[in-house]
Amino acid sequence: MSDYIDLGLHVLDHQLLDSEGRRCGNVDDLALEGGPGDKLRVVAILSGPGVWRQRAGVVGRVAAWIGRGGVVRVPWRDVDEVAAHVRLRKQAEELGLGRGDDRLRPLVEKIPGADR
Amino acid sequence: MKVFQVALGILAAIGGFVDIGDLVFNVSAGATFGYQLLWVVVIGVIGIIVYSEMCGRVAAISGKAVFDAVRERLGFKAGLMALVAAQVVNLMTLTAEIGGVAICLQLLSGLPYRWLIVIAGLVLLVVVWVTAFEWIERIFGYGGLCLLVFAVAAVKLHPVWGAVGHGFVPHLQTQSPILYAYFAIGLLGAAMTPYEVYFYSSGGVEEQWGPKDLGLNRVNAMIGYALGGFLSFALMIVGGSLFLDKGIEPEFLGSITMGAEVPLGQIGLLLALVGILFAVSGAAIDTLFSGAYNLAQFLGWEWGRYRHPRGAPRFTATWLVLLVLALGLVMTGVDPVQLTEYAVIFSAVALPLTYIPILLVANDRSYMREYTNGRVANTLGLIYLVLIMIVSLTAIPLMILTNVGQN
Repeated sequence: MSDYIDLGLHVLDHQLLDSEGRRCGNVDDLALEGGPGDKLRVVAILSGPGVWRQRAGVVGRVAAWIGRGGVVRVPWRDVDEVAAHVRLRKQAEELGLGRGDDRLRPLVEKIPGADR
Repeated sequence: MKVFQVALGILAAIGGFVDIGDLVFNVSAGATFGYQLLWVVVIGVIGIIVYSEMCGRVAAISGKAVFDAVRERLGFKAGLMALVAAQVVNLMTLTAEIGGVAICLQLLSGLPYRWLIVIAGLVLLVVVWVTAFEWIERIFGYGGLCLLVFAVAAVKLHPVWGAVGHGFVPHLQTQSPILYAYFAIGLLGAAMTPYEVYFYSSGGVEEQWGPKDLGLNRVNAMIGYALGGFLSFALMIVGGSLFLDKGIEPEFLGSITMGAEVPLGQIGLLLALVGILFAVSGAAIDTLFSGAYNLAQFLGWEWGRYRHPRGAPRFTATWLVLLVLALGLVMTGVDPVQLTEYAVIFSAVALPLTYIPILLVANDRSYMREYTNGRVANTLGLIYLVLIMIVSLTAIPLMILTNVGQN
């Protein structure tokens, strides 16, 4: 990687991997801090349906109408590496990421042979 | 040992290349225009080789599958359009393949079609649920090799080889250029079916390919698809030799199997049916997983066919739902062969949305490093991108003008 990070190209919309390598969402948006004239800093990665539906036009409005959309804020200091994927320093559960998979797991496990 | 394994992989790839789209379009192109459109298959096969190699390389070096690339390069909004288009085409293809499986079972057993749809669905479900994936690929790939019976049939039908050779030279010599163009686009769409690259690239990521697998990737893409294309030639030659002068439109899978039955008798028919059954079942499984891969990659969920279902719950739930949806659609009594035509034409429309992001990522030096696209890959990639754009823009108008290839 070069000595700077292209936020638009190499962070936004990338896959999040937790410290164990688990896929746990995408970088759906970035939270920046610092007004005009100040130093602008990335403070957090935002992830979850509550974030992407704001970027999705009509589909987003429909999604918003259907149900609640979680927003997970991952502090930038918990980002370990920005390469092909965005790797985090902590586990998904600790950060509140990958909840959809966790919620569905008990159901899928009930099907015989699910843990072959 | 390595060579042996590579050879096995290639055999499976040949059997896995042909799906219901190739069967329908190659045989009906033969029945309508004889051998004249063989050159289009060559162009289509080179195209799928170029982009599969690129997708495989991106998967090996960056660990990104196709819809990771779509999401990061097109962003959420345009990426969502690509996703919706891909999923619609994918569901149509899946429905057509399952319908094809049921038709084959019907021709083999004589039982009622609707029962066989249910049986086909259950068998696919059980096979995917209990069989390890390396076996699924082998079983269906090797079974699909029975389709080589069409190569024997093509020779046995004694085509005029001079005319076959002439078919490989691009030319236009027809009273109905619009219908010719429609079939050309259908053949390109059938050869460059997007689910093949979704499945191929996701498989590469799952098998954790790295730089050392790039040779294998190249061999798989080049030889596997080239030999698969050879089967497409055989199908078109059979269609041309058998149906052209008789004015028969092979509108049913049953008439496609006649291509092997007429020159080779009962054994030809049986091999053709078994070959189609395995090839189409394998394609059904590939499309089923492609749909789940695409959605999971776009939304960042955990995914993988090698994981236990509990390791990727939303991915598992997605393909289960897709299977039920497709079975419901087949149950409506929609004609699989006709649906295939629509699926292939619509997939031609959606091709650029898949291939543009891949071309962009394959050129991103920050993660492709020394494996970034070279001049050859980029030149071919760009040429094909232009071609794909033309195909995409003209597909629907041609479909309407020709009344889905009927006139």
